[in-house]
Amino acid sequence: MGTYIVKRLGQALLVIWLAYTAVFIAVQSLPNDPVTIFLSTDSAADPATIAQMKAYYGYDQPLFVQYFSQLLGLLRGDLGYSLSNGSEVATRIGEVAGSTLILAGSAFVLSVVFALIIASAASLARGGKLRKALLNLPPLMVSIPVFWLGLLLLQLLAVQLGVMSLFPDGSFMSLAVPIFVLAVHLSAPIAQVLIKSVQEVNRQPFIEVLRAKGASEAWIFYRHTLKNAAPAALSIAGITIGALLAGSVITETVFSRAGLGQLILQSVTAQDIPLVQGLVLLTAVVFTAVNLLVDLIHPQLDPRIVTSTSGATRSLVA
Amino acid sequence: MRTAHFGLKTTAILAVLGLSLTACGGNANKTGAAQAVADPGTPVEGGTFTFAEVTPINNWQTQAARFYEKANVLNSVLDRLTYYDVEAGKLVGWIASEFEANEDQTEFTFTIRDGVTFSDGSKLDAEAVKLNLDALGKGIKSAQIAPNVDFAAYKSAEVVGGNKVKVTLKRPDANFLRSTSSVTAGLVSPKTLELDNAAQSSISKIVGSGPFVFESEKPDEEVVFSSRDDYAWAPETAPNQGDAYLDTLVIKYLPEVASRAGAAQSGQVDLVRGLQPVDEQVLASSGGKVYAAEGVDLTTNHAAVRIGSGKLEDVKVRQALQVAIDRQAIKDTVLSDSYVISGSILNHKAPGFVDLSAELAYNPEKAKQLLDEAGWKPGADGIREKDGKKLEVTVSTSNNSVVIKPAFELIEQQWREIGVQLINRAADNTFLTNALVDDKVEFFGTRQFAYGGLGPVYAPANNSQTLRADPELNKLFTKEQSATTDEEHLKLVEEEQRALVLDKALTLVLWDEVQVYGANSSANVEFTSGTAPIFQGAWKSEG
Repeated sequence: MGTYIVKRLGQALLVIWLAYTAVFIAVQSLPNDPVTIFLSTDSAADPATIAQMKAYYGYDQPLFVQYFSQLLGLLRGDLGYSLSNGSEVATRIGEVAGSTLILAGSAFVLSVVFALIIASAASLARGGKLRKALLNLPPLMVSIPVFWLGLLLLQLLAVQLGVMSLFPDGSFMSLAVPIFVLAVHLSAPIAQVLIKSVQEVNRQPFIEVLRAKGASEAWIFYRHTLKNAAPAALSIAGITIGALLAGSVITETVFSRAGLGQLILQSVTAQDIPLVQGLVLLTAVVFTAVNLLVDLIHPQLDPRIVTSTSGATRSLVA
Repeated sequence: MRTAHFGLKTTAILAVLGLSLTACGGNANKTGAAQAVADPGTPVEGGTFTFAEVTPINNWQTQAARFYEKANVLNSVLDRLTYYDVEAGKLVGWIASEFEANEDQTEFTFTIRDGVTFSDGSKLDAEAVKLNLDALGKGIKSAQIAPNVDFAAYKSAEVVGGNKVKVTLKRPDANFLRSTSSVTAGLVSPKTLELDNAAQSSISKIVGSGPFVFESEKPDEEVVFSSRDDYAWAPETAPNQGDAYLDTLVIKYLPEVASRAGAAQSGQVDLVRGLQPVDEQVLASSGGKVYAAEGVDLTTNHAAVRIGSGKLEDVKVRQALQVAIDRQAIKDTVLSDSYVISGSILNHKAPGFVDLSAELAYNPEKAKQLLDEAGWKPGADGIREKDGKKLEVTVSTSNNSVVIKPAFELIEQQWREIGVQLINRAADNTFLTNALVDDKVEFFGTRQFAYGGLGPVYAPANNSQTLRADPELNKLFTKEQSATTDEEHLKLVEEEQRALVLDKALTLVLWDEVQVYGANSSANVEFTSGTAPIFQGAWKSEG
């Protein structure tokens, strides 16, 4: 188990370093340096100011110096300076990260709850029609666009009924509605995989044995089926982090919330490359961390993962 | 990127939302015409006014306020030396009670009003004005702040006779006085000028002398300002000469275009910028107000031409494209009554505007003829070719305007008829990052602040419009800036427009700049020549 953790941790660090390098190369392959690009939105940038800013932010240094000084900064948690307002990238991200964490974190938890409810109900439902309806719920949910549901709810609750604010005013509704919107979209793939996986487990002989022993359907489902079906859903849950971030961009825009999604939009619009760079790296770190977490939880659910070649098992599961 | 997709889908469901809005607003007061605004009555004191901008702002540095999101707020925080009164069609006094120029337009004297203070208590006197002018004209090196483009001719300023400031320019500039009315020439406390870049970009640290003072902010969500009770130095012709009627001004953000009409109608905001044409009628008919703020201080919306790809090198091709745009069809299809079709590169109400609409009339036959003459012959697929190259041109714009993308979609169809393929990358900000500085992307759809002549917009070799300097145009700009009488100056501004729009066709003009605001029925507000809301004169009706 110890080697497994060390190996996974090492892989995670390697991924982050590669992501940093890829982002660095991508920025270098732009036709201009970040300062020139940023100032090009001005009607006619002053060449003296461009030179000054380049020197100030270190973009006049040789490439390898830039690469290593930025990498060193990264290790210290220093992501450089945002060109659009002169403050540190880490500060800008810190200002709004909490808001996204609350939104995305709650939405994730809620989506898992939704997925569990849908999967349990679909698996335990007795009526054929109800069961069919429940099985079709995830495909329906995944095809509802986040912004559409968000706008519809805003139009209904904020404009027509006046029971919530169009802006994040700290009220329960102004947080609950965006979380719900994001969770609906997010829970669909988790529920779908969970249902599929439950169906597969149900076909296995040991379930028949349990039934023959007289166990109730609910007991079998919660004590045996769900536990065996969980690893697949967990893998999907790890992957949905990407969808979560993309969903945050949209949810934050629709609900006028501050957050990382909004910040990504703004930094791209303002052509603030260092800020974009910082946000891409953050995304890579979060993605890697969540997948690392998933990898570390997996052996708890399925001990075979540590003993067998982990890659093969993962691909089987996913 | 997800966002491009998102924009498309947003547009697609607007119809649905619009319908539901109209249906529910049935019993509300119907004002009919989009611009019908009832008799304002007597201003009411007090209250909190909420204004929703389209996107949060993180850089409030005043000289970089060439974006509406900043200018619209800073307009109520910072005063300027002069004010451009659209109704009177002239510059009037503000912090400068008097101002004059020498005949050569190289020396300007401003008499600074007595008793003006910044909100930190320090005096806005001649010395403070001099320091501000230096920052505008020379930039602030220690804070990496670039000089203001409109102050390119600035040399120095000195305090004379206690309350006067004399500005000396390196060369004549007949537009200099008008530039001092720009929000980007807002006056800040001398202490603000000493701060570093990050602090000068922060709204909480910028100290002005304006009618509203910063109170608090939540990053990316809201900024709160309170009225300054001792404010008594509004522009000379402002209806309200005292402090603001309102107590509190709250700036919020509504990046989602589909929520804007509903926000104003329901009173969740008093005013919102960036109303889409389809929402104008909806809001007006459900009891809200629609304000069309004319951008007299700006160029029209246009496609600036870059000739780097070689395809538009021949002026005949550019002239052909100019008359191959059916502007009336654009207005009828994607715009609304709030919009006015361009008659030149300047807005109809701008000083020196010359009406070129006869020359700009839609004429596809003439366009085809011009393209034939230039040697571009129709190919097998209908797209014209010359020397094996197809007449395929690309347009890039930011996604800030709510109407620019559909407008270029229509132009794409119109140009197809004369055998020109337009690749529409409008509203694609990622593409714009490179396109802004790439002269091989033929068109940049935009509008720019232009305080008088068009020199600052088109003269610099790295100007964002054409990305190159044109020696003939630059000669004309210099001549215009050296004009010694108003009459001569306006005549030369006319000549610049003819050269840019017709003779050289370096800009394909579309519609006059206008910003359409949605307001709640209780909101009363007027706008500056730069389309900024004047919150100092704004008030809310009771009930």
